[in-house]
This record gives sequence, C-alpha cells and structure tokens, in this order.
Amino acid sequence: METNSFDAIVVGSGMSGGWAAKELTEKGLKTLVLERGRMVRHPDYPTATKDPWDLPYGNRITQETRRRKPVQSRTGYPTPANQHWFVDDLDNPYVEEQPFDWLRGYHVGGRSLMWARQSYRFGPLDFEANAKEGVGIPWPVTYEEIAPWYDKAEIFAGISGSVEGLYQLPDGKFLPPHDLNCVEVDFKQRLDAKMGRKLIIGRCANLTAPLTHNESPQRGTCQSRNLCIRGCPFGAYFSSVTSTLPSAERTGNMTLLPNQIVYELIYDNDKGKATGVRVLDAETGKQTDYFARIVFLCASALGSAYIMLNSTSSRFPNGFGNDSGELGCNIMDHNKPGNSNANVEGYLDVAYTGRRPNGFYIPRYRNVGKDKRDYLRGFGYQGRAARSNYNRFNDTPLMGAELKKAALEPGPWTVGMTAFGEILPYHDNRMTLDRSKKDKHGLPMLVVNAIVRDNERKMEEDMKNDAAEMLEAAGFKNVTVRSDSYNVGNSIHESGTARMGADPGQSVLNKFNQVHACKNVFVTDGSFMPSFGCQNPSLSYMAFTARAADHAVSELKKGNL
Amino acid sequence: MNGNDDSVEMQRRRTVLKRVAWMLGGAVSAPAALAILQGCSAKESVPGAAAFQARFFKGQQADIVSAIADVLIPKTDTSGALDAGVPAFIDSVMADVYPTDAQARFAAGIDEFAAAAAASGKSFLEQDPAQRAGIVQKSLEAALSGEHEQKPFILVARELTLLGFYTSRVGITENMEYVAVPTAYHGCVPLSQMKKHVYWE
Repeated sequence: METNSFDAIVVGSGMSGGWAAKELTEKGLKTLVLERGRMVRHPDYPTATKDPWDLPYGNRITQETRRRKPVQSRTGYPTPANQHWFVDDLDNPYVEEQPFDWLRGYHVGGRSLMWARQSYRFGPLDFEANAKEGVGIPWPVTYEEIAPWYDKAEIFAGISGSVEGLYQLPDGKFLPPHDLNCVEVDFKQRLDAKMGRKLIIGRCANLTAPLTHNESPQRGTCQSRNLCIRGCPFGAYFSSVTSTLPSAERTGNMTLLPNQIVYELIYDNDKGKATGVRVLDAETGKQTDYFARIVFLCASALGSAYIMLNSTSSRFPNGFGNDSGELGCNIMDHNKPGNSNANVEGYLDVAYTGRRPNGFYIPRYRNVGKDKRDYLRGFGYQGRAARSNYNRFNDTPLMGAELKKAALEPGPWTVGMTAFGEILPYHDNRMTLDRSKKDKHGLPMLVVNAIVRDNERKMEEDMKNDAAEMLEAAGFKNVTVRSDSYNVGNSIHESGTARMGADPGQSVLNKFNQVHACKNVFVTDGSFMPSFGCQNPSLSYMAFTARAADHAVSELKKGNL
Repeated sequence: MNGNDDSVEMQRRRTVLKRVAWMLGGAVSAPAALAILQGCSAKESVPGAAAFQARFFKGQQADIVSAIADVLIPKTDTSGALDAGVPAFIDSVMADVYPTDAQARFAAGIDEFAAAAAASGKSFLEQDPAQRAGIVQKSLEAALSGEHEQKPFILVARELTLLGFYTSRVGITENMEYVAVPTAYHGCVPLSQMKKHVYWE
C-alpha cells in the first residue's frame, strides 16, 4: 500500500488533467497522474513531419478506419495523418439512445493534442445568464473571480489574439494576433460599416511570438505549417504534452502512468472522504488500488461522470456525490447546424503565404445589449477566406494541358464559416450506466441520450439566415447555407454532467469544483459547467482547474481535507 | 525524432530509385521503378504507364484508367498523371477508401466507358492519344450536362486523377509553392511577389 500512496491523484492527462498535474506538483504535492490510454511524449508524433505525398490515399479516411472507428469517422478527422489519435469505437463502445458523437483520444495528452486551439474567455454575460433568465441553476462564480485565473492560463499557454474591448467576449493577456487576409479584412470592414458587427482574428493557443515566461523552454514559436492536429514538433501550440506535463515532470513530484483505466472512487464511510481510486490495467486487466489525500477527476465530462456513477456505496447509492440527482444530467455541447459559403469577386492578384492555423471569429451579437430575440443566448461564427484549389475544376470540362495551365493559378477566393450556438442545460439530456451490458474490461456500458430542443431550433434560424445576410452584405456571390444534421457531441465540447452551484440540492460541485458531499474530490473538466456560452471551452477548463488546485492545496494546508 | 528517421529513410529510397532509373537508361516514375524492384513487369499498352500490382482493377481496367488519367493530365513540359503514379493511386483509393457499392459503380463505369469508346470499331486503348482525349472530353461534357443520381464514372475518375496528381510529389513541387516549414503567415501577398502562384495548403 505504501508505494500506491500519493498526496494527490489526477485522473486523466488532457486539457484539465495536465493543468491539475502542473499546479499540484508545483505546490509540492506528490501526484499520481493516471491516463487510460498509451504514452505520448513530446515530440514523438508519428506523422508530424510527413510531406503530403507521404500520406496514402490523398489523406482520405479508409474503409478500415470507418469500420473500426465509425463514430470518430462522423467527423472528417481520422484521416491517415490523424487517425492514430482517435479511439477504436469497437473496443470502446457506448450506447446512443439518441445519436451522440463522442470523439475521444485515449492517450497521454488526450484531446489537448487534437484540439482546434481556439481560446476564448466566457464573460459576465455568460456567468450571469442562468440567474437572470431562470435557466438551470446560477453560476456560483462571477467573471471577476475567475478573470485572474484566465490571465494565468493565457500567459502560461500562450494565447494569441487582438484586444477588442467587447463586453460579450472579454480581452485577455494576448500574444500578437495572426493576420487576417485581404478578403477577411474587407469582410470585417463591410460587416462593421453595414451591420455594426465585429469580425476579429481567432484567439488561439499557437505561439505567434515567444512566451512571456521561461517555464516552457521546450516550446518554440509557430512555423505556420497548420499541421497542428498531428502534434507539433516545435511545441508551438499548447497541449498537455508540450506544456503542462513537462512542467509537472520537472518538479520531480509527478508519477505518470499510462494504460490505467480508473473505474471507481474508493469511499471511506467513516472518514467521509474518498481515499483513492480503483484501476484496471488496459493491457493486462490487472486491478490495482491507488490512494491519495485528494483526487482530481479530469477524465472528460462523460468520463468523469462515468467514474462517479460507477462509484456507489451505502452513502452514495446513486453515484458518487449524487445527492442532487443531477450527476450525468444537463449534457451540453455547441449546436452546429451547418456551414455557409460564398464566392468572392476580385482580389485575384493577391494571395497569402504560410498556412495560418487559425481563422476569423464573429463574436456573439444576438441577445447582447439592446438586441432581443425570441430565444435565449446566442452564437458565434468561425471561418476563413481562402483561394480555391484544383477542386474547382470538378465542375468544369477542363482537361489536358489547359487544365494543367489553369491549375498554375490559384482559384477565386471563397469564404466559409460555421456557427456555434449555445445549448441550454436540460436535465433530460443525460447519461446513465447500463450494468446489464459490459465492455471488454467488464465495466458497465455508458448510455447517452441528448438532443437539441426548442430554444436551439429557434436559434438555428438566425444562425443560418444571419450568415447569408452577412455574406450578402459583404457583396459576396453565390451564397449557400448548408443544413447539416447535427448530433450532440459533434462540436467535441460535451460538458455539464456534474454542474457546479451554490445549492448542494441542485448541483454536484461547489464553486471550487469540489464535490459538495465529499470535499476531497474535485472535478475540473467540462463536467462542471452550469451553462455553456457559445465560446470554445478549453480556456475555461484551464482557468477553473488552476483555481481548484490552488483551493485544494490551501484547504489541505488548513487541515480541512 | 521520428521525422528525421523518416527523412533519412526517404533519402535512401529516393537514392535507390534514382539508381534504378539510371540503370534503365531514362526517367522512370517512382511507382514504375518500385514495381520493377518488386518484380512486376511494366505494361506496354499505355506508353509511360506505371506498372503496379493492381488490387482493385481487373483485366484491362488499369490500362484504361491509365489512358484516361494520361489525357486528363498529360506529360507536357512538366510531369503528368502517369509520372505521378496516378493509376496506382486510384487503384489503392478504390481498394481501401471507397465502399463496396461505389467500387462496383466505378468498375462498371470503366467497362461501360470502354464499351462506348469502342463503338467506332477500335478499342479505346488502340486509339491514338488525340482520339482518346476527344472521347474523354465528350464524356466529361455529357456527364456535366445532365442530372445524375450518382456521380458519373468520368467525373469520379477525374476527381481522383486530380487528387492523386496534386497530392503527389511531382504534382505539388512542379506546380505549387511547397514550403514544409513556412515559418510565418502573410495574409496579403501580391502574386507578382510569389515564385509560384499557388501556395500549397
């Protein structure tokens, strides 16, 4: 038992787990990080430096990948360049009572390796919305409380962006912004002049300049390859593997074990505390218990809620810390009902060089200030303008030497953008466990049932119509608005399964991400979100994890845990 | 680092291929040279067509698709589809990327294309390149003019020819500005300042 005892256990090594590991080890805690997937070390990314001609099939997804990874293949991600980062769905099944796209990366670094790196703060508008509108439960945290932790996350991770002074999208501590290209600058000016709406460069976790601290000597600046999802040998974007885990490693306080599937929290009824976690070795099936004074669950919204639902005891017959009955409920994501595209006339004598790992962002403007709609909340757009490539010839009869000649010039400019809309928390959007069905490890099957409802459907109309209006206002041609069927989860922002709140009768966690009913367990992945804004959430997970770790260590020192 | 190992391995392979090309006394496309290394014999029916161990194509299908790719992207003062190994590419994409029903449609499409092309009494492969180009051009125009439930064969063939060619080494490096490590992004650059106007992305 001696060797299995630590000060802290962190479950998961992705966006949140990496931050928990860094913060806890830097504060002197001997910390065990348990990752269910394989080891990944910077800069060992197998496809990172492959040239395009070294990838088979023009980098299209194969039938074998679609067979083994049918859910992952609902996105375009598991190409030959990337597919090794996406789980085998046949080996890792779950039950979809409603279609639910659960995109997962089971390896050290988790989805922080594959994320789109867009990094936005939630603002007062987001933190106050539930209370003002009587939706879900009020946030127990204000923007002012979390703002310094956003500062810390941005400075350490290195977030680039432009200072805009927008109430609905607070500014942060930014590295220099990427360029908008010529057409995007024009789009920005016309949107501002004609509709009073803002278009800004995306805020992203790519180093557009050296970090302003010296804690990550392994990280270099962005080389504009835009192959980030393969893993960056320059360490130029933030991931656990490039950033937080190396910091934790350097303290000498971290023990990182891959292939360890945490399936249960161990609860001591007499002490009223969790004493550790139960683990299965993913390769051998060997069962081990690990013990610690505090546990951080950072296994993703569905992953952490799974562990808690699977941790039953006489004190917690319905799942760990589930006195409120809200554990596994209120699943949110970002509604993404389609892309909008248009052709751009002119600008034929200009293009761009380098590959920008970022696009433009149109921050939320609906239900902001005086704007009032017949639905709650709003949406933002992410997009880019680019010159079209050889695919433009697919609709022409061009061939032979003529085609080769035409292909020496870039095609006309096009603009494409995608709306991401807020989904409200609904108790009935939930996950449960089916103990009658087992996976290959003998663990109960996760069952998920989540759909978009009336508020999201109403918002969708604006998401589509506004896109068309804006593209037309900019003078672009052949505007098309695609309606795609959207499954919850497809934005890979699933969240909300163990929401935080002031009232233990209505929430699982308190304002410091502590389980109300068991104070030495913290949950700091997307589980804690009581509402979800329309911004990409990872930066918020970083900030809340750092704050929770600070609170945990301070409470430990006071003898409260 | 993996990347270094890869590039060393690539260097070695390229050197081997260059030697093979030299031994054969001329320019041989990489897939052809590879096929030769693997002990396959080059096919004669389409001059310059790369030989490969077909996994999808049967009978003359490889030769017919090679001939189509050759007229879609011929060798001019720069490399063409056959230099880039497009037929082998299409074979592999059909075998491993396309689902069964699309595979069957493509295979039937080749056979129907060949049958229609032979209406004059001469098979497609027996016709000269100009005649072949004329047939492919007509086929493209017909496919683009109608409404189709499924994408017509010739459009799939051209889509894959373009994809195979413009993701190949020669297709990219001869036609585009390919910079593996650009170091910076510039959002508004006059084409007049670019060596090649298409920047690979």
